[in-house]
Amino acid sequence: MSDRKLPRLLQTPAVLLLLVWMLVPLGMTLYFSFIRYVLNNLRKPEWTTPNISNWRGFGNYEFVLNSKSFILAIQNSLLIVCSILFLTVILGIMIAVLINKTFPGQGIVRVLLISPFFVMPAVNAVLWINMILDPVLGLQGIAVSGINETLISLRSMPVLGGFFSLWPQFEPISFRATQTSAIAVIMMVTWQWTPFAVLILMTSLQSEDQQQKEAAILDGASAWSQFRFLTLPHLGRPIAIVVMIQAIFHLSLYAEIEIVSRGNGNKNLPYLIGEFANNNIGAASATGIFAVILANIVAIFLLRMIGRTLME
Amino acid sequence: MGRIVLNKVSKSFGETLVIPPLDLTIEDGDFTVFVGPSGCGKSTLLRMIAGLEELTSGDIEINDKDVTQVSPSKRGLAMVFQSYALYPHMTVRKNIGFPLRMQKMAPAEIDKRVENAAASLNLVDYLDRKPGQLSGGQRQRVAIGRAIVRDPLAFLFDEPLSNLDAALRVGMRLEINEMHARMKTTMIYVTHDQVEAMTMADKIVVLRAGLIEQIGSPLDLYHRPQNVFVAGFIGSPKMNIFSGPEAEKVNAHSIGIRPEHTEVSMTKGAWKGRVGVAEHLGSDTFIHVHDTGLADILTVRISGDISLKHGDKIFLSPQTDRIHKFDEEGLRIE
Repeated sequence: MSDRKLPRLLQTPAVLLLLVWMLVPLGMTLYFSFIRYVLNNLRKPEWTTPNISNWRGFGNYEFVLNSKSFILAIQNSLLIVCSILFLTVILGIMIAVLINKTFPGQGIVRVLLISPFFVMPAVNAVLWINMILDPVLGLQGIAVSGINETLISLRSMPVLGGFFSLWPQFEPISFRATQTSAIAVIMMVTWQWTPFAVLILMTSLQSEDQQQKEAAILDGASAWSQFRFLTLPHLGRPIAIVVMIQAIFHLSLYAEIEIVSRGNGNKNLPYLIGEFANNNIGAASATGIFAVILANIVAIFLLRMIGRTLME
Repeated sequence: MGRIVLNKVSKSFGETLVIPPLDLTIEDGDFTVFVGPSGCGKSTLLRMIAGLEELTSGDIEINDKDVTQVSPSKRGLAMVFQSYALYPHMTVRKNIGFPLRMQKMAPAEIDKRVENAAASLNLVDYLDRKPGQLSGGQRQRVAIGRAIVRDPLAFLFDEPLSNLDAALRVGMRLEINEMHARMKTTMIYVTHDQVEAMTMADKIVVLRAGLIEQIGSPLDLYHRPQNVFVAGFIGSPKMNIFSGPEAEKVNAHSIGIRPEHTEVSMTKGAWKGRVGVAEHLGSDTFIHVHDTGLADILTVRISGDISLKHGDKIFLSPQTDRIHKFDEEGLRIE
């Protein structure tokens, strides 16, 4: 046996396993997306078993494309992912720059900052929606009613009371509602993933060349100019990494959406697939294929963008 | 044009005093070199002049104006760093133009000045490259270009050549010398390499542990070192310094003789020894002589080549008028 054959042979099981792992589910999804396949149908019991004789062509795809919730789900997926990326990167840069300076208690602050990342997504969602965002029992409810009570007591003041009675009372916001549930998801995931951005950006800040900064100081650069012309370009690569990894994770958000509103006004693609899969496996598979295509479009864009940054 | 005066300048990091109070005047247009072994505080001193380190006490004047509390960029000094400190994400053009851009100069004027600086440094072909695509010598040139465009009162160089290979170092040394001759701007140059100091300086400041050991022209230091430290530090190979009966003969605690001021003979001489390693450079030969009874090893330097074998007997005679005498404190005796 030649020198090359042995390593190849030893690699084969791993490669085969990976191929099977990927190709079999993808192949089955493709197959299901072209046939009629439902879990429960009393009138057409033959549809409840996957069979090539139930061939439907692009029927499932048409059905999915024509359903209103599909377009909404794609919009919502993009809204949630883009908002979270934007917020985590901005917050991450600000916090990382802030805690990069040495100060007493630095170690503890850093550990505390990282800790949200270790909370399980479902637990995170339950905590936020019930304990923080709940309009009655959560921090939000308590804060709003506290402000309103203060406002009422201010109105009974002798002279200024008239002025304060012009102020409206605050209304607590229900974050389980159709219009706001996506915002709740964005908030809680941003809270959870900002530490990830902070962690990566902070590491990168520590490797920044201090002599460059000194040179910039001598060149007359202000603190803002130093940040704009030195630190921000230096952070380009880690920001690209943060964006790429987070985009992959957030395209598949599920637990938060389920817990906040059971998908009410807030479905993303994975959630829609889950809903279809309650009965209509064919439609769920077709949506899954769309999700794969969407993920690949996003991936190509990201890789192009990031590839350019990484090349430099 | 800048004249820089340090008055009682000192620096401590926490409890440790790095530079005890020190006075120094750097005349306008001088090429001054701070030289000393690593950790002697020469870089700290330079950074204090630049304004990158705060003074613990004392004050600094530039052109008779107290700049101790003035921010680094307002002092009118330009610095070239050991690591070049180029901005990696900007092209050479942007790097050189950066200080002008920070001064909010008009883009057309910036372009003109950058072109001029680039032309004088042979960088015109590289203006649109990034620092990562340049060689060490080219990067160093860009760093110098970035200093030149500001038209500073004085240039500060912090070991600028130590990251270059030997051949480039000699070339850049000449270029910086040329630049000084052309521009006649005050330059302060920090190095641990006494060859650089000797070849470039108008005035050398020898530092040890934050103290100035001697200030003078290169030849001054070579011919009349004020103490044992300067005697041993300046000159290559090192001066032979030893104490004992030979020193007592001339009423000194110790005496020093440079390797090049010793005559060599195979037959007769003042001191007798055994040849150790002989380093043949072609133009010169350095001979390490053992068993003289004076010091462990004496080094002698002779021009040209000589055929010697390890273990050969050899006689040395110092040129008596070139012997340096030092007292118990290590200070020079005239």
